[in-house]
Amino acid sequence: MTEPRPLAGRAVADVSLGRTVLALVAGWLVPGAGHAILGRVPRGAFFFLLIMGSFGLGLAEEGRLALYSPRDGFLTGLQLVANVGVGPADAFARMSVYGEAAYRLPDQSDPSHAPRIEKFRERQRSALSAYGTAFLWSAGLMNLLLLMDVWDIAKRRKD
Amino acid sequence: MRGHFANLVVYSGIIAAFFSVLTRRDRREQLRFGGLVWLSMVLGVLLLAYLMFPFPR
Repeated sequence: MTEPRPLAGRAVADVSLGRTVLALVAGWLVPGAGHAILGRVPRGAFFFLLIMGSFGLGLAEEGRLALYSPRDGFLTGLQLVANVGVGPADAFARMSVYGEAAYRLPDQSDPSHAPRIEKFRERQRSALSAYGTAFLWSAGLMNLLLLMDVWDIAKRRKD
Repeated sequence: MRGHFANLVVYSGIIAAFFSVLTRRDRREQLRFGGLVWLSMVLGVLLLAYLMFPFPR
């Protein structure tokens, strides 16, 4: 295992494990908050605007809020990860679209199956839904990348 | 936003801004890298669309 290399020419102060975990959790809850906790406030604010802007555009363009389906578990699972990466904002979006924080497509025998799949398909009928989906998934994936950046900053691998 | 091209421009802008600030620290470098990514995405998609034009669905 390679040891983290301290940045050349900078005073290196360790970030405690507790603060690192706090930054990671906060960074998932509110995009950019992890950077702010580690002292990169302007960068964190910029990332917040960028990610929430992408998320808002995705919702406005009726992007897909993926539902996990065991029939196509791998792909729908990946889609769900991309959605959930943006944090609790995804759960609020699901509540407004599906009426609850739904993450899974119910079995066909379940009475909630038909209305949920209808709602899911209804959003996809919009001509711009594919773009909305790209905005939504990009927002989640960008936030996950930010968490890796927070880790690197905490480990002093990056400025 | 009701246009495909507007979506392309805005989406490329978001991605370019994100990666330029994530991977570059110097403001001038960020602008250069971000501009390059944005231009590559927009021109790349237009080129691809042009190449696909003779093959409609």
